[in-house]
Amino acid sequence: MLTSILDVLIAGLLLGGLYALIAMGLSLQYGVARVFNISHGEFIMLGGMATLTLFTVFKINPLIAIVICGPITFVLGYIIHRTFFRHLLTSLPIFGEITILCTLFLWTVFRILADYNYVRLNQFAALAICLVIAIILDFALNRTAFRRIHESRVAAGVFESTSMLFSFGLMFIIKNIAFIGWGPSIRSYSFLQQPVSIAGALFGMNRLVTLGFSILIGLAFYFFLTRTRIGKAIRAAASDPTVAQLMGVNINQVLALCFGLGAAMAGIAGVLISMCYPVNANMGIEYTIIAIIVVALGGLGSIPGSFIGGFALGIIGSIVSFFEPGLALVAYYFIFGLLLLIRPKGILGK
Amino acid sequence: MWRKAIGYSLPVIICLLLLLIAIPGCQQAATPTAPKTTAPATVATATKPTTPAASPSATAAKPTKDKIIVGMSRPLSGPLSVIGDSAFRPIYETWVPRVNAEGGIYVKEYGKKLPIELKIYDDKSDVGTMTRLTEKLILEDKVDFLWPACGTSFLFAQAPIANKYNYVLITAEGGATSLKDMLPSLPYVFVSLSFSDWYEVPVLADLLAAKGAKTAYIMYIADLHGIEYSGVAGIELPKKGINIVGIKSVPPDIKDLSPIIKEAKALNPDAFLALAYPDQVMPATATSMELDFNPKAWLGGPGVNFGFYHTAFGPAVEGVLGWTTFARKSSPKLAELADILYSGKPEETNDWWGHPLYWAALDMWKAAIEKAGTLNQKAIRDILATEHLETVLGDTWFTIIGGGGGLLAKECHPGEVGQWINGVFEVVGPVDKATAQFVYPKPPWPKK
Amino acid sequence: MNKISFNYSKLLLPGILLAILVVLATLPLYGSNYSIVLLTSIIMYVILTVSWALFSGSTGYISLATAAFFGVGIYTSAILGRTFTASILANEYFVVFIVIIGGLISACLAFIVGAITLRLRGIYFAIFTFGLVELIKNLLLWYEVKFTGTRGRFVVVIGNETIYYVILGILLLLLLVTYFIRRSRYGLALESIGEHEEAAAHIGINVTMVKVIIFAISAVFVGMTGSIMAMRWTYIDPYISFDPNLTFLPVLMAIFGGTRQMYGPIIGAVVFAYLEEILLTRFPYYYMLIFGIVLAATILYLPNGLVGVVQKIIARLAGGKHAHSRG
Repeated sequence: MLTSILDVLIAGLLLGGLYALIAMGLSLQYGVARVFNISHGEFIMLGGMATLTLFTVFKINPLIAIVICGPITFVLGYIIHRTFFRHLLTSLPIFGEITILCTLFLWTVFRILADYNYVRLNQFAALAICLVIAIILDFALNRTAFRRIHESRVAAGVFESTSMLFSFGLMFIIKNIAFIGWGPSIRSYSFLQQPVSIAGALFGMNRLVTLGFSILIGLAFYFFLTRTRIGKAIRAAASDPTVAQLMGVNINQVLALCFGLGAAMAGIAGVLISMCYPVNANMGIEYTIIAIIVVALGGLGSIPGSFIGGFALGIIGSIVSFFEPGLALVAYYFIFGLLLLIRPKGILGK
Repeated sequence: MWRKAIGYSLPVIICLLLLLIAIPGCQQAATPTAPKTTAPATVATATKPTTPAASPSATAAKPTKDKIIVGMSRPLSGPLSVIGDSAFRPIYETWVPRVNAEGGIYVKEYGKKLPIELKIYDDKSDVGTMTRLTEKLILEDKVDFLWPACGTSFLFAQAPIANKYNYVLITAEGGATSLKDMLPSLPYVFVSLSFSDWYEVPVLADLLAAKGAKTAYIMYIADLHGIEYSGVAGIELPKKGINIVGIKSVPPDIKDLSPIIKEAKALNPDAFLALAYPDQVMPATATSMELDFNPKAWLGGPGVNFGFYHTAFGPAVEGVLGWTTFARKSSPKLAELADILYSGKPEETNDWWGHPLYWAALDMWKAAIEKAGTLNQKAIRDILATEHLETVLGDTWFTIIGGGGGLLAKECHPGEVGQWINGVFEVVGPVDKATAQFVYPKPPWPKK
Repeated sequence: MNKISFNYSKLLLPGILLAILVVLATLPLYGSNYSIVLLTSIIMYVILTVSWALFSGSTGYISLATAAFFGVGIYTSAILGRTFTASILANEYFVVFIVIIGGLISACLAFIVGAITLRLRGIYFAIFTFGLVELIKNLLLWYEVKFTGTRGRFVVVIGNETIYYVILGILLLLLLVTYFIRRSRYGLALESIGEHEEAAAHIGINVTMVKVIIFAISAVFVGMTGSIMAMRWTYIDPYISFDPNLTFLPVLMAIFGGTRQMYGPIIGAVVFAYLEEILLTRFPYYYMLIFGIVLAATILYLPNGLVGVVQKIIARLAGGKHAHSRG
């Protein structure tokens, strides 16, 4: 009996660790950068698929892949916020966004033409040509049409809806690129799949490693927020962007940083997920949904809340699965709905 | 003020005029397409589904036809793309160029070989979109033939539509007892894939009973597939004296399977059946390894039959059972097929269950057209329903259910149950078609 | 902006709408068979989008429960279709009856949900309603697997033209209801709730009642559409019925079109649905990529949605002088 209680609790913690990590990323993006990022799961997918490729093709240990995927997704998120979301926030077109969109578009056109055998060109050469055309166009537009547009900060509510809509577009784009690159097939690899016994209860080594890393990253992030200068700037920006800006915080920089960090957490979560579960180019949306639930459960924008919410959801799921696996998801949504009704701002919401 | 009134009413008038022009325009747009096929026949089939009218391509005199257009609505994106991309897609992408390289399919009516042209739409794994695109293919594009959508529930929606317009539909991914029950009313539908009681689970029950298995634990996915397989297993296994000690359904979105594996481990069954899709069979395998759960027989399907399963776990899955159709040793023809499909490609692309059946379905389609000498759906349907045709499986035919549609005869299946033996997914059941001896009990998961 | 142009621009819109409706109603007489099928699905999106915008567009409460009401309609249709014999179902009035029942059950659900959740604000309401969809879906799945032993259900099949006319009727009803609500004191009440809820309560509006009633009304149409679309899809299961896409797409479409005007969501839905159809059939392998780029570019460079563009065009048509005052 004691063993099975322990069993259930630890299984919940193991699942909860992953949930917490996923949710913290989204919480950061929503709480500070005010982007309700529907494409959050796609960064998880990118992390997972990249790890798989690194492991199977280049034989790189998934734990080392954390160090590779984390920074890459960070840079990706940072660039995306620095260009697109900043444009949405200030209604000022920014050099780079046309380059990205136009490169993608021209590349798509090229792929379609290549499919019909109208053009025969090396992939990389085509990409380079697309990039050059896009940069020239971007430069020209910034010199002419965009010069007349002046910066004007949009209202928070407007930004929330446009940024959410934009993240939808982003989700489609990232997913389709992943489909082209990796194909839709399900894949997994074996890593550390050996049993470990904790007081009579058996667990996979890889899951324990996952839990360890989630807690480690959660704690590291907490200290980063509370002990460093940038962390203070982030917290200031979260509580009041305008005042923070008046106090000398480079708000655009901080918001982009937060978005990037959120993306990096998603990427790392993807790496950890790929150690335990199969991955495919289509997996993003289900993790986005889990992240949304956990974030709402813990209180929107509250990072410790997301951390606790993740573990709470994991344990609830584990307890219910023990009795009736068919009702685990029902329980998630029921508890979540109930909590929202009783405490509309979540566990740690203000 | 009046000037303004005119200014505002002008756009309204322009719009109305445009619409008035558009109405006859539409009429004209609709008529030119009509002579291509016979308009009355199409209209009749569309408005009165019950009237057995000739198919659109049947009555039309098309002396200048130079290709056979085949339409498909496939899940190129969305959750089902995982299945569609690895199952039927590689088959048609290999089969069609091979046929076209020979000049196409000889149709006597036109006195020449006609190449096949594919028209593929993306249904984003959504049934509503699929039904709409299927009707688009039939009504607007007027394709000569319809090839199947992906997934059993999609077939449920697509089969009645194909049947309504009298289009022959040979299915690929998907098959179920409930689809079998519908076949008497769907004379144009032919199911190619093997499924639970056609004839996989009974064979499994025989295999396990012969080795003396007494107990089984079933984990199944809470969908059509899982309910069906667990239902059939719940009938067939006890028939052979195998007691089912536990049965659990799992919703498709759930991630952590350890509670179920733990429960199964506590009950210590001889056989463990994971009747789910790859995205659950693979974690179930991983969790079984982690928790050191070693039943004498471990079956998962669909999932175990794919090359990517073996790629993911390597030699650790030695002895794991799954549903299958063939192995290289089944017949020289099938060995050749395996070479055509898999040699020079990564192991991940292998599918030892569906591929030969889909290939055989296309072979039958081609043979039926050649035999009929026409693209008339009715004539082809009748040949498919009555004749034995030569395919990659050898002599192949459909078993007709209740005078309606058919199932690919189970006598034609080269195998039902497979097992990973020395890194090859061998056929172990039925015994007379086996390419290797059934290993029971399976070797335990390797200790790392 | 003077008074006269205001009045005429109001006349212009119903005029165009009426003309379009006349064309739509007579379409089966001369259109191709597929045009009916395509329009049925476009109209479905228009209904979902407009009824979403009816409540969420003016109050600012983002409801993600569209799929829940839609799915309830679908299941009503599936269960009622099973209960009655085929001979009754051949009667087209009976189809209308099923559709109305579907709408009413959805409205009841919306009423209950509205009554208990409308005290949630902003994004919390959105997330709760989204959770509701998933809750119903998983509960239904569990129930079906555990107790009925099946997962999917077959729905009675009826002709495409019947479906088309029913869905057109629902659209017409919805547009009329939306139009009159927007002009009535309920519409004004909704607007004031959207602008400042406390202030609205202080000036004597029964905020909760208005919100719940409008929420239920918008659900009626979604449920009705679900009931009729089930008959088109012929086979349904919880995953098909409670597809999250059906909640997200109307929101996207409405914002894409612009929610301020009544015709914004309509334009958004039509353009969006037609764009999707073209991409799915012409460029199936790059559908999401092109879709995503178009979506992103629209949000970045057309901040007022398609309505902004349309307004500019109307203003230009109606005399260049006012082009800037509306922009």
